[in-house]
Amino acid sequence: MIDFSMYDVKTPEILGYKCQTCGAIHYPAPMICGKCSTRRDPVTGRKWETFPLEGPATLLTWTRVWNLPEGYNVKYLLFGIVEFENGLRASGRLGVDDPKTGMKLTSRVEESDERPGKPVNVFIFS
Amino acid sequence: MTARIGIVGIGHTRFGNSSEYDLADVMAYAATDALIDAGILEQRREVDQVFVANMASGLFCHQSSVASSMVSKLDMEPVPAELIENGPASGASAVKIAYMAIASGMVDVALVVGGEIMRKISGWEATDVVATMLHPEAEYAMGLTLPSFGGMFARLYMDKYGCTERDLALVAVKDHDNGALNQYAHVQGTCTIEAIADGETAGVVNNYIAEPLRIYSTCPVTDGAAALVLVNMDSPKAKLFKKKPVRIAGVGSATDTHCVHNRKDPLRLDAVRIAGEKAYRMAGLTPGDISFAELHDAFTILELAISEEIGLFERGKSYLAVRKGETTIKGRLPINPSGGLKSKGHPVGATGVSQVVELVRQLRGEAEEGRQVRDPKYGMSVNFGGFGNNVVAIICAKD
Repeated sequence: MIDFSMYDVKTPEILGYKCQTCGAIHYPAPMICGKCSTRRDPVTGRKWETFPLEGPATLLTWTRVWNLPEGYNVKYLLFGIVEFENGLRASGRLGVDDPKTGMKLTSRVEESDERPGKPVNVFIFS
Repeated sequence: MTARIGIVGIGHTRFGNSSEYDLADVMAYAATDALIDAGILEQRREVDQVFVANMASGLFCHQSSVASSMVSKLDMEPVPAELIENGPASGASAVKIAYMAIASGMVDVALVVGGEIMRKISGWEATDVVATMLHPEAEYAMGLTLPSFGGMFARLYMDKYGCTERDLALVAVKDHDNGALNQYAHVQGTCTIEAIADGETAGVVNNYIAEPLRIYSTCPVTDGAAALVLVNMDSPKAKLFKKKPVRIAGVGSATDTHCVHNRKDPLRLDAVRIAGEKAYRMAGLTPGDISFAELHDAFTILELAISEEIGLFERGKSYLAVRKGETTIKGRLPINPSGGLKSKGHPVGATGVSQVVELVRQLRGEAEEGRQVRDPKYGMSVNFGGFGNNVVAIICAKD
């Protein structure tokens, strides 16, 4: 059965980038591969692959921020830097309330509309 | 032969809340002070070039083209004027570019003015404006801010080296002791270690901003401007100036990854280290020659980390020097005698120029009683853009 209510609904994702020339992976998108200097064309993506950046990750450091910018109507947010199993690192929000450096987390991506303008995709590590 | 370039005029507004005033007026005020100090107010059109440093007047004040506006307020037309933007390191970048312009031979006398009015908007909005220097998708979109990175950096440093929140508070106490004596500082008051770390109510007085950073670990949101007059000391125009120049001995700058998470070791501030090394090499000096330093302590943890990256202390040991009082005015190596960004304030576009103004005041022996460094020969400043992704170091010398 087709669920028409799901038409055009996309699962939010954040992409990693793989240079097809040398196999190096990057996040966020570079304009030139840091390993072999292959150029990335942001329109056609020729010579580059993309892949969803997701899965298990290790927490490298974290903070609980109490002075959030305008638009965030919560008391505080937790943020961290993680390292994925493929070696890529990312910054994002934490979905655990008692983080410990070195703990294993899993990433998911959510749409955030706190700030003005179009919604953006954010990492939640929990 | 390397050009001999000196500073012959300084100007500085009282940092604080200038939100009732026009940014160009505040900048022009500091510029006028510098022209008077240089003794060329009437001959101000002898200035060959004006460089204006500002980070985000469009976002903070809904105002653009401030270089043109400021020059017109100074009645200096047709002297050329351009704006230089490098985030919170805009000020030192303007000094560096003025140095390059003079060294190139195109310019003999340059006026450098840095300024920012950040308090026309709310603190929440200002935090957001400053955060726009982060990576738009991988950092800013996540809700991250500069204090967020300060907090994450501080946690790494504290976990690795054994530095404590009390050690960060000791940096703040020292900076406020200095700033309380600085006529230009935003916060002209002292604080005690009892009040912000040891006492029963310390957690209330000194609440968390971005754990483990507290409010006394971060600089205030500040308005203000600072200005310098630079001259080629070997040009005919050098005769215009009566004051002995303070020579710019070394300038270095470097960049690092825009995204903090892409640094191999997130505890290393490579751009700071490389900028410092370049400045030392140009000046023919080593860290042991430095008499005092003005370091970009937007967060107190940065004063510690920057002092280590530029070789003033062994890695992971600077907080031990703070415990022993080595970085106070009377200590072995005074750091942030002005009060630093923590006490003097941090109008982002002005800070790099303000740091050099302090180097000149100290090297001339003109700092206020109680915060004059004893017989300094070389002063060094480090102006830190982004979260360390674009850094400028400057060394000034009393010849």
